Amino acid sequence: MATETLTLGKALNTGLRRALENDPKVVIMGEDVGKLGGVFRITDALQKDFGEDRVIDTPLAESGIIGTAVGLAIRGYRPVCEIQFDGFVYPAYDQIVSQVAKMHYRSQGKVRLPIVIRIPFGGGIGAVEHHSESPEAYFAHTAGLKVVSCANPSDAYTMIQQAIASDDPIVFMEPKRRYWEKGEVEIDAPLGSAYPLHASRVERVGTDATILAYGPMVRTALDAATAAEDDGRSLEVIDLRTLSPLDLGSAFESVRRTGRCVVVHEAPGNLGMGAEIAARITEECFYSLEAPVLRVTGFDTPYPAARVEEEYLPDLDRVLDAVDRTFGW
Amino acid sequence: MSRIKEFNLPDLGEGLTEGEILKWLVGVGDTIELNQPIVEVETAKAAVEIPAKWAGKVVEIHHPEGTTVEVGTPIIAIDTDPGAGPASPPADSKQSPESAEPSAASLEAVEMAPAEGAVEPGLIGGPAPGGRTAVLVGYGPRTAAAKRRPRRTDAGGAPPADLAVVAPPESAQTPATQPPQVQDRQAGGGGPALAKPPVRKLARDLGVDLHALTGSGPRGSITRDDVRFAASGAEVAEPAAAAAVGAPAFGPDREHRIPVKGVRKLTAENMVASAFTAPHVTEFLTVDVTRSMKALERIKALPDWREVRISPLLLVAKAVLVGLRRHPMVNSTWSAESAEIIVKEYVNLGVAAATDRGLIVPNIKDAGRLSLRELADAMTALVQTAKGGKTPPADMSGGTFTITNVGVFGVDTGTPILPPGEAAILAFGAVRETPWVHKGKIRVRQVTTLGLSFDHRIIDGELGSKFLRDVGAFLTDPEATLLGWS
Repeated sequence: MATETLTLGKALNTGLRRALENDPKVVIMGEDVGKLGGVFRITDALQKDFGEDRVIDTPLAESGIIGTAVGLAIRGYRPVCEIQFDGFVYPAYDQIVSQVAKMHYRSQGKVRLPIVIRIPFGGGIGAVEHHSESPEAYFAHTAGLKVVSCANPSDAYTMIQQAIASDDPIVFMEPKRRYWEKGEVEIDAPLGSAYPLHASRVERVGTDATILAYGPMVRTALDAATAAEDDGRSLEVIDLRTLSPLDLGSAFESVRRTGRCVVVHEAPGNLGMGAEIAARITEECFYSLEAPVLRVTGFDTPYPAARVEEEYLPDLDRVLDAVDRTFGW
Repeated sequence: MSRIKEFNLPDLGEGLTEGEILKWLVGVGDTIELNQPIVEVETAKAAVEIPAKWAGKVVEIHHPEGTTVEVGTPIIAIDTDPGAGPASPPADSKQSPESAEPSAASLEAVEMAPAEGAVEPGLIGGPAPGGRTAVLVGYGPRTAAAKRRPRRTDAGGAPPADLAVVAPPESAQTPATQPPQVQDRQAGGGGPALAKPPVRKLARDLGVDLHALTGSGPRGSITRDDVRFAASGAEVAEPAAAAAVGAPAFGPDREHRIPVKGVRKLTAENMVASAFTAPHVTEFLTVDVTRSMKALERIKALPDWREVRISPLLLVAKAVLVGLRRHPMVNSTWSAESAEIIVKEYVNLGVAAATDRGLIVPNIKDAGRLSLRELADAMTALVQTAKGGKTPPADMSGGTFTITNVGVFGVDTGTPILPPGEAAILAFGAVRETPWVHKGKIRVRQVTTLGLSFDHRIIDGELGSKFLRDVGAFLTDPEATLLGWS
């Protein structure tokens, strides 16, 4: 089995390449995805190898990208759309919510839209306004969409292929500041035997508190767990991976053991994923909870300017402060 | 000469007071440019590269790698005008050929997030200044160290026992560092009992009514111990005490020396005095207490018993009191001085309680005159006072008979040692569901083992056996014995 060390970005690129090879109906479309290879080089060299008909540079019009993808999908294609940055997705929001999410339901199950909408999301790259947002809850809130987020190269490689293979529309959130993190990827592992797309996974086993995270915050949570060892605390870290449908099976099992839970995400806390997760955990694990489920999130403000974003983003200190608080009850 | 400038370790804006010099990115004699990274400093939060404040030539490096330097201390001397000839202070500065290039180390030190191929500085995915990765839009992501900044208080440093922390450690970002204020609800006495969910579960499993309890936890909340205490009735299994003994601080010789004093010393003296003066005999009796347990349930359902915490220990106490009335000789003292046996009409019933200060045996004065309800209240008050460490000395002296409830620790029975001056002591073991021959058939019954130690100078085997048999008979069928012996 061929194992390669790839960055998360390169793993996505390799996964997209494999999807293009395996299914002639797969097309990639987005701003600068072709000739430039994407601003993050996720589609690097794909247009060169698969041609302008399959890797399509679109106009700067997100609504048009998704609207076009809806038509292509109805006609049997599997469009993979790149939204260049999280903050650019809003012009496409109407297409996503009104068309992509509803077509299957509207057609009484006769028409399915196998569209993947890739969104590099989250901050931490020192970028300007509109380039560091975390809009995942908008999509997870919308019935008819599936939302997933990868956190490491291995998952990036398999999850993007699983998403493309899915007959349902999937919003694929990519942790842009982790694009350059490296990891082992099994290049020729068969997709059929891969870890399921819509399942969370324990990334680190612990006994004292459970940290739930997804996307870019998984690394932060793992770092926090490493740092917590100095305090003699053993933190369990779970990568949620799928936000809609939400899989909290491993989280329930974990919280019943640890009695303490902290949810971490970059998006603002108010009505964010953490609110839903906390509610469900409270419902399922009430008699095990030594403390309320706590959230460590971005603040309820617009994403700040790059020079102060490190104050806004949850870091391992804030995660560990929350863990401390769970021990104060 | 003023052209040689001392560069002080700056405050990096994180309230930093000191930093460790991880790596010098330049060497003595190197020519450096304005803003060129010259040194990598480990702060509490991350490794940070510090840029040069002036262009020039490095004259001297004051601190080697690995040293920790206070903010404001000079770390490097830079000649800002090297072309003007040798500068005065560092006469020994080794002149190396001028090189306009940044040292190789400065590029090395840029934290690489390298991929094969496109990793040249400035290219997307390649290194960028400040330990970042170059991107098309933005300064690029930064690699942070997995290390925690120092906490403001060390309250959170040692893992606090979950209920021991009154105020959780302050957190800079989160305004709500304190759990919600709840004491007003407790004071009102109205609303739901204050207990976190696992405690509620425990209370439900053990059949304890939380409303009847007074919490000993933070803000008056009810703790597991409060619930276990209520369930057991008497003995207080204190995890704190267990922890104090169970996890001693071992010295380098791997031995832990605990001074013998206080309750431990008194206990030891009493036990030695008793064990080597009174000849002990211990007898055991295993009894089916199912009817007692059922009686207990029925008592709990009585209207005036709603607010009372009761446990099987209450019925054991009642059984002892009934038994002592039938066998007064068991309630007596051997007096060596006066060469007498002093038989007592009053029963001062001692209940052994493990507290975090050690074993203490407070007793209920004249327990034989109390109604069952009064006895229950007295036992509750007794153990609560003991648990709070507030038992007055008078309550601990003058006991005439003692019950030790070893069952709360999950054991079946023991051979208790007599408290000095008492003629008998009863150990009450765990009540377990056990296969038992009941009315000619094997049934699952609730069974416990009683262990009675007595002073053989006073009590013969016959008397001891009869007393133990009667206590057992009471617990086997409390209704019939109460009526039959009244």
